[in-house]
Amino acid sequence: MYLNNLNPSVKALTILGLVVALALLFDPVTPALFTLVTIAVTFLFGDFRRKYYLFYLIPFTIFAVGMLWTTIAFADAPKNPSETVGLIWWEVPREDVLVAVSLSFRVLAFATMSLLFIFTTNMVEFLLSLMQQLRLPPKLAYGIMAGYRFLPMLTTEFRQIRAAHRVRGMGQESRWKRYRRFAVPLLAGAIRKAERTAVAMESKGFTGTRERTFYRNIRVRKKDWLFPAGMGAIFLLLILLSLRFDYFSWYQGQL
Amino acid sequence: MNIQNLSLQYDDMDAPVLQNVTFSLGEKECVLLLGASGSGKSTLSRCLTGIYPKELEGMMEGEVTFEGMPVNEASPGTMSRRVGTVFQDPETQFCMLTVEDEVAFGLENICVPSEKMEKRVETALEEVGLLHRKKAAVISLSGGEKQKLALACILAMEPPVIVLDEPTANLDPVATDEFIALLSSLKELKNITIFVIEHDLDPWIDITDRVLMLGRNGSLFYDGPLQQGVDRYARDLYEEGIAVPGAVRMAMETGTATPPYPLTARGLAAGLSAPLKAVSGRENGPALIQASGISYKSIFSNVDITISEGSFTAIAGPNGSGKTTLSRLLAGIDPVSSGRLTRPFPDKDWFQHAGYVFQNPEHQFLTDSVWEELAYSGAGDEKIEELLEWCGLTDRKDFHPFTLSQGEKRRLSVATMLVKDQEILFLDEPTFGQDAKSTSRLMDLLKEKHRAGTTIVMITHDMDLVDRYATGVVVMKDRKIGFTGNPDELWNEDLVAFQLKEPFRVRTNRLIKGDMYVPQ
Repeated sequence: MYLNNLNPSVKALTILGLVVALALLFDPVTPALFTLVTIAVTFLFGDFRRKYYLFYLIPFTIFAVGMLWTTIAFADAPKNPSETVGLIWWEVPREDVLVAVSLSFRVLAFATMSLLFIFTTNMVEFLLSLMQQLRLPPKLAYGIMAGYRFLPMLTTEFRQIRAAHRVRGMGQESRWKRYRRFAVPLLAGAIRKAERTAVAMESKGFTGTRERTFYRNIRVRKKDWLFPAGMGAIFLLLILLSLRFDYFSWYQGQL
Repeated sequence: MNIQNLSLQYDDMDAPVLQNVTFSLGEKECVLLLGASGSGKSTLSRCLTGIYPKELEGMMEGEVTFEGMPVNEASPGTMSRRVGTVFQDPETQFCMLTVEDEVAFGLENICVPSEKMEKRVETALEEVGLLHRKKAAVISLSGGEKQKLALACILAMEPPVIVLDEPTANLDPVATDEFIALLSSLKELKNITIFVIEHDLDPWIDITDRVLMLGRNGSLFYDGPLQQGVDRYARDLYEEGIAVPGAVRMAMETGTATPPYPLTARGLAAGLSAPLKAVSGRENGPALIQASGISYKSIFSNVDITISEGSFTAIAGPNGSGKTTLSRLLAGIDPVSSGRLTRPFPDKDWFQHAGYVFQNPEHQFLTDSVWEELAYSGAGDEKIEELLEWCGLTDRKDFHPFTLSQGEKRRLSVATMLVKDQEILFLDEPTFGQDAKSTSRLMDLLKEKHRAGTTIVMITHDMDLVDRYATGVVVMKDRKIGFTGNPDELWNEDLVAFQLKEPFRVRTNRLIKGDMYVPQ
């Protein structure tokens, strides 16, 4: 699929650019439309497990709704208190609702864009691309890669330690003290593992310099530019729409 | 390769790790360095690959040269083209996610052009027999496959010298034999010098040209052919924590041979007239723990098993066959999903009656000193003294548990589980990664406890231990019980199907009978 094959650096930079651009605007309609566009693009051009996407979207949605409510409930004193809208059984100033809706959709827009990236990008390719296109030092990139392998090991180790401590008859102590006892073996194990991995990498000739060749060459092809161009065009269209219907507004520190 | 008067001391230690070590490696030679754990073997391997003195926090004297060039003058990275290393721990020597990326990683480091890489990656994987797993994730490989992958990574870089630092310490016996067979075929095929660092000599006998023996004080005490070394130092080797070949051990125990000792089962069998006897007393008492139709999540279902009172039960089987899960269920660490599990004591104070020793002893330590560790479990001063005496840790009582040696940590973790004179003791591979001396010390302790009436359930791969100590054995296969009964009955089963290796005694006996059974 197109999004999965896209150059990861181009994808990341495009999304970063869009996030910054979106952060400058403050109206409820543009981020709402943009959220829909992002979800549509993700589903049309991405290849991933659909169920998991929805599963990940739920917490963001809850967060956005929560934000909507708190913003309305704890809003500053409105300038035009007379203009109200009915929200179920509740009369609230129109202004506050607008601010809250803008904010919530903003959260959702950022979330869906991040999900677009996360669900269609291979971590290794992203790191390789960062090294090859954006000159990320290999020392950092391979360090992240090695650390990524450690995560599952740490969780299994944590479970082991918890079970081992239970056998020793722990449980009467406070939670804080118990967790402190977990830390020592967990850290000792992690440090030892990290050292071994570092020695193994070094013995395979890894020095951390930029002088290296790549087994997988990640390039920027012409079709990769289609994504920033397309997304940029949609974004401009949405802005034109907002100017045309006169709801355009810069972000001026509202909250 | 030449090593001249190499001495090395770490900053935070009082005694030097290596003292005046001098030896050389010839072209195409296979040299075995024997030494107990903690004798400085791994340190030496780091000196050979040039990681020390660069990364060393301490002092290093002497010189390591490769084809006349001092190793420490080589620019960073170039040594990796001359000396490749396979490490002990299969989990921590990789940094990439897939097999092909991992092999390519070394090639990328030495700037092999991208177009040539694919071919070299494939050749290396072909040589170790992993080509069909090229796209697989590293985590999905078994321990044996991981070590083969580590070897492939080195082979791809084509160094003339390969250093293997206890490459089979974390593998089961069948995977160990496979790995060594692979290595010996590669040795024939390619012009490589192999330097193996080990404490267990047995599986390496056939491919070794020469042995070096490293004492606990960090100096070499023997350099020469294997046979003479074993003849001269057989008794010292045990003291140094090095496993003497099974044949030599048997020969000494039974008094059937004098130097020159036989090194292999075949050699031992030739000098024997009657078969070697099994240990006696393999009768089992009444049932203590009884499980009928127990299941655990999706890992296994409908397992029936009985642990008898006063038995020494071994649980064996290939990695991933559910050994640990089974013992954790029996020990009550994980709850069974369904089925009936009858235990002799109520759940509430179950762990007052049963102990469980985990694979990694560090996981079980809770306090800052050996003494407190035992006190934490509720022992009085007198009991602590007694236990310390029992496991030989009296002079270590103020040490932090993490600073003990591997063998000492293991003995302490067993001791903490016996504070309440527990009636049942579970052990998860307690001899893994231990050298010969600490293994035999631990087993002696367990035997003593068993004689005193403790029921012991132990997971192990080592069939020699099963043959010598166990009164009952359970073999797991594909998450089911494959065999349960007396060890002597097990030896008549198809052991290869269970991925187990015949114990040395049984193998020797087969050879006496003139059986033409050839173990692979």
